[in-house]
Amino acid sequence: MAGANEPVEGAGAGEQPVVMMDYFMHLEYHEVVCPIVRRYAASLMEGKILGQFSPKSGLVYVPPRSYCPVSCEWLGEDNLIELEDRGVITAFTIVTPVQYYGQEETEPFAKASVLLDGPGGMLSLQDILEIPPDEVRIGMKVEAVWLPESERNTDEIGNRSWGSAAGAIVGWRPTGEPDLPAETFTDKVY
Amino acid sequence: MADLPISTHVIEFPYTRTLGPVLGPFLTGLRDGQIYGIRSNDGRVLAPPTEWDPLTGEPLDTSALVPVGPGGVVETWAWVNHPTSKHPLDQPFAFALIKLDGADTALMHAVDAGSMDAMSTGMRVTARFKDERVGVITDLVFVPEGGA
Repeated sequence: MAGANEPVEGAGAGEQPVVMMDYFMHLEYHEVVCPIVRRYAASLMEGKILGQFSPKSGLVYVPPRSYCPVSCEWLGEDNLIELEDRGVITAFTIVTPVQYYGQEETEPFAKASVLLDGPGGMLSLQDILEIPPDEVRIGMKVEAVWLPESERNTDEIGNRSWGSAAGAIVGWRPTGEPDLPAETFTDKVY
Repeated sequence: MADLPISTHVIEFPYTRTLGPVLGPFLTGLRDGQIYGIRSNDGRVLAPPTEWDPLTGEPLDTSALVPVGPGGVVETWAWVNHPTSKHPLDQPFAFALIKLDGADTALMHAVDAGSMDAMSTGMRVTARFKDERVGVITDLVFVPEGGA
C-alpha cells in the first residue's frame, strides 16, 4: 500500500511525488470563409477597405457581413462601398503586457477603435504606430500604414474577424491634423 | 469543399492543475510503473481511485491505495479507426473499459491491439509502460495479454 505522503516503490522511486499535471488545452477550428469575407480579404490585398452600407439603419459594416442585424435586412453587392483608409480614434486602451503564455509583446502598447472618414465603418483593436502609447488620445486623426503589396497576407481573416484588417494594415499613424471634437462621434463609440 | 478557402483559428490555454491526495499518488504510481486503486467504504477497490465514495459521497481513506493490475479484463470497447492528434496512439486502437485484476470497477484506457479483429469483450489485456514516464495517464497503454 502507498499512502499520499509516502513515496511509492518502483522504477522512479526516490523522485519527488507527482503533485501537478499539465492541462494544455488546444482548440483548433477550421471553417470555410464565406464569400463576402473572401471578397473583403481580396480587397485588402489590393489596398482597399471594403464595407457594406445598410440604408435602412445607416450603419456601415467592415468587414461586410451580408446582413444588417439592426434593420434585419440582407445586404448584397449593391451595398458594397469602398471605405477611407483614414479616420479618427474614438476609443483606446493601453495594454501593459504580462508575460503569460503566448504574449509576444514586452512593452506597453495601444489598441484603438478607428472610425473611418467619409461613409464611416469601424475597425477595432488597431495598433497605433509612431507615437508612445501615452500620447494616444480620443479624437486623434490617423491614417492606415499598409504593408507593401508583396508582403500582404490575409489568410488569418475569417468569418469572425470583425473589424480586422490584419495582414494588410500594420497599424495607424497620426496625420497631424487637428483633433475631431468627441461630440462628432459620440454615437459611434463601440 | 476542397478548393474553398479555409481559415484556421487556434485557442490555447496552458493550464496546470493540482492533483490532490488521490490522483497525485495514482499518477506518481504510474510514473513508477504501478497502477493503484483505492478501497471504498464498502470494501470494494475502485480503480481509477477517487477521493470520495461514489455511492455515499463520504471521503475515502486516502492512505488506503491498493496496487491493481497490471492485467485486466475488457468489459466493453470501441474501435477508433482514424486517430486524431488528440488520441493516445497514432495507429488505430480501441478505447476500452478495463477491470484490472484486484479492482471492482473499470478504468478507461487505450488498447493497442493492432486490429479490430483482435478485440473482444472479456479478453485479457495487460499494461505496457513506456520507458520514459512522467506521471501522466499516457505513461502506459494496454495490449492483449500474450502479445498483439
